Amino acid sequence: MKTEMLAMILAGGQGTRLGKLTKNIAKPAVPFGGRYRIIDFTLSNCINSGIKNVGVVTQYQPLALNNHIGNGASWGLDGINSGVTILQPYSSSDGEKWFEGTAHAIYQNISYIDQMDPQYVLILSGDHIYKMNYETMLEEHIANNASLTVAVIEVPIEEASRFGIMNTDENDRIIEFDEKPAEPKSNLASMGIYIFNWGRLRNVLLNSYSKDGQMLDFGKHVIPSYLEAGENVYSYHFDGYWKDVGTIDSLWEANMEFIRLENELDMRNKSWRMFSKNTISPPHFITETASVKNSLVVDGCYVAGSVKNSILSTDVQIKIGSTIENSVIMPGATIGKNAKIKNAIIGENAIIGDNAVVYKENDIEVVGYSEVIGVQSDED
Amino acid sequence: MKTKKMCAILGNVSKFHELLPLTENRPLDTLPFDCKYRLIDFPLSSIANANINSIFMVFNDGETRSVFDHIGGGKEWNLDSLQNRYFVYFYQDFLKQKEQGLPYFDSVIDYLEKSESEYTVLTGSNMLCNIDLRAVLKSHRNQKKQMTVVYKRMKREEISLNDSIIDVNSEGNAASIQKFKESEKGEQFNLCMGIYIVQTKWLIEQLNIGQKNDHSPSIHIFLENKIAEESTAAYEYTGYLSNIHDVTSYYKANMDMLDSNKFNSLMYSKQKIYTKLKNEVPTYYSENSLVKNSQCATGCIIEGSLENSLISRRSIVKNGAIIKHSIVMSNAKIAENVVIEYAILDKNVTVEAGVKIIGTPEHPIVIEKNQVVSTDKWRK
Repeated sequence: MKTEMLAMILAGGQGTRLGKLTKNIAKPAVPFGGRYRIIDFTLSNCINSGIKNVGVVTQYQPLALNNHIGNGASWGLDGINSGVTILQPYSSSDGEKWFEGTAHAIYQNISYIDQMDPQYVLILSGDHIYKMNYETMLEEHIANNASLTVAVIEVPIEEASRFGIMNTDENDRIIEFDEKPAEPKSNLASMGIYIFNWGRLRNVLLNSYSKDGQMLDFGKHVIPSYLEAGENVYSYHFDGYWKDVGTIDSLWEANMEFIRLENELDMRNKSWRMFSKNTISPPHFITETASVKNSLVVDGCYVAGSVKNSILSTDVQIKIGSTIENSVIMPGATIGKNAKIKNAIIGENAIIGDNAVVYKENDIEVVGYSEVIGVQSDED
Repeated sequence: MKTKKMCAILGNVSKFHELLPLTENRPLDTLPFDCKYRLIDFPLSSIANANINSIFMVFNDGETRSVFDHIGGGKEWNLDSLQNRYFVYFYQDFLKQKEQGLPYFDSVIDYLEKSESEYTVLTGSNMLCNIDLRAVLKSHRNQKKQMTVVYKRMKREEISLNDSIIDVNSEGNAASIQKFKESEKGEQFNLCMGIYIVQTKWLIEQLNIGQKNDHSPSIHIFLENKIAEESTAAYEYTGYLSNIHDVTSYYKANMDMLDSNKFNSLMYSKQKIYTKLKNEVPTYYSENSLVKNSQCATGCIIEGSLENSLISRRSIVKNGAIIKHSIVMSNAKIAENVVIEYAILDKNVTVEAGVKIIGTPEHPIVIEKNQVVSTDKWRK
C-alpha cells in the first residue's frame, strides 16, 4: 500500500510541568475546552488536511490516550485505506525499544512506517492547540523541492530563547538552526512540525544507528545534521493561533481564551471542524437558581450554582449556592453546595465538598483527577 | 438456536394526524425530542440495552429520509458489528401484496426464521419510555403464556381515542382489550403500550395463518387482536411514560424533561439512551444571558433569556430575545428582541428581530421547518 504522507504524532512525553494533571495520563490526553482532549486538535488537523494514516507514538501512561483514540472512528480514521495505529515501545530480540528522543522514536518504528510506504512523513506533537492545514505545508515542501520543511511561527523576540530558532534567507530556506539560543538572531520558532522525505530520513536514521546512534532528537541532532550536509531545508510560516499547553498557566490561559466567541481558533467554523470522542450524555440542565455568564457548557452538565468566565466539561455538576469563576471544570467533576472556586483547574471526576474553597491568590489552583476536597453531602 | 435470544420488530405505522405539521415530512419516529434526541432513540436504546442484535423496522413509504439520515449505519445503537444488523421494510409493500392476494407476511416470516431467535419483541416509538426489555423477557418466561403485553396505568387525560386499554385480571393476565372511549368511566386506565414479547416460532405460525385469513397487515394491530384469542400475560411498566399522539402531548412530553424527577427517570436510569453522535462545539452563554430552568444541547450561542425552554443543537439566541415555555429545534436563528412563548419551532427556523410568537399552554403554536418568521404570530 502506497501512502503519500504519513503523520506520526509524538505523544509520549511525560509533561511533568502539568503536575497533578499528568500524574496518571499522558499530556495529549489531558482534557481541554469542555469536550476535547489536547490531541484532538492534531488528529482533527490530520483528517481535515486529507491525511488518512496516522501513527500515534505513545510511551508514558498511555491508557487514557489509547482508550480515547480507539480505532480512530471518532475522527473518521477508520475507513478503507485509512487508519490510526498506536505505537508503543516493545521488547524485541535486539533489546527494549524505549524511545529516547523524538528522532529515536521514529527510528524505533521504522518497520511500521515502511509498511505504510509513505513518500513523506509528517512529524507532529500531540500537545498543541491550533488549527493548521498540513496539506498546504506539503505543497510548499514539494514546490521548494525540499528534503525537510520545518513549520515556524513568529514569537516575541524576548521569548525566543525558549524555542528552537531558525535563521532563514529571503526564500525561506533555513541557513542556521539554534536550539534555545541565549542571543536569538531571529524570532522564527520551530513548532516541532516537520515534513521529511521519508527515503532520505530513513537513510540518515539507519546510518546513524548503525554507527554511533547520535540521532536522538530532531531539534538537537537531525536538523543540524541536515543543514551541515547541505540538504534543502525550508521553513513554512504559520501565523494562526498556536498554543503550547505544557504548563498549568498556559493550559489555564488557553482554556480561558477558548471561551471567547472571537477566539482566533474560530471553533464554530464548519469548514475546519474539531472532532473528539463523543460521550453519551443528555443535554445540559440550567436550573432556576443558576446563573451562567461568559462560559461554555456541554452535554450532561447540571448547573444550580453561579458560573462566570468558566468552562464546564461533560457531566459536571454544580450544586446550589456554589460560585465558579475563571475556572476549568474537567469532565465528571462534582461541585457541592456553597463551594467557591476561582482561578482553578478541577481535574476529571474530582469531588469538591460543600462549602469548600478552591482559590489561591496570584496562582492557578489545581485539583487532581478523582481528588476529593472537603466533605461531600449525603443528599442527592 | 441460541436460547433466550431476542429479535425485534420496530415500527408503529399509524399515521398521527394530530401531530401535523410536525409530521409533514417525517414519521413520528424521527420527531426531535429533548434538544438532541429523536423519539426512535428510545425504543432503539431499549433494544440495544437488551443485547438484541437484529431489528426489522417498518415505515411508511416516503417517510424514511430522516430515518436513514438519523440511523445511518446504526453504529450508535451497536447495529453495525459483524453479528448485528437491521432491516427496513415499507408498510405499503404489505398493503400492495395483500391487495394482490399474495402472502404479505412472508418477508417478516423470512426475517424471523433467519434471525434464529427464540423470542420476538414488538415495539413502536409513540410510547416514550425507557423500558428494560430483559426484565419483560424474564417475566414472559416465568409466565409461560404465548404473549406478554406491556401496559401502564395512566390518567384519563393522557389517553387518546386511538389508544387501547387492557383489563388485567387477578392473575395478572390481560383478560380483554378495547379501544379507549370518551364514555369510559373512571380516572385511571391500563394503557396498552404496544410492546409485546412472543415466542418467535409461535409468531411465525400465527402470521402464516393470519395472512391466509386476510388479517390486518399491521403487525401491531395483528398482535393487539390476538390478545382476545390467546392467553396473554400483562407486564406493568412503572417508569416514565409519555403517550405521544398530538401536538399538545408532544409538547408536554418535552416540557416534562424540565422536571428533574421525570428527566432523571427517563435519561438517567440504569439504561442509557443513545442517539446520533454529532461533533458540536460547547454551548456559549454570554455575559448578558439569563437562563432559568432550561436545557440546551451543544453548538448554541445564548445571548438572550431562556425560561422553561429546550434549545436544540446549533441554535443562536441573540441579545434581548426572550424564550419562555418553548421548544426550539436545531439550527434556529432567533434575532434581537424576539419574544417566543408556548411555541414549537421546527428545525432551521429564523425569527427576525422584534417579532413575537405567542401560543398558549394548551395550544402551543407550531412554526414549520425552514420558515423565516417576519411578522407576529399569535394563537388564542
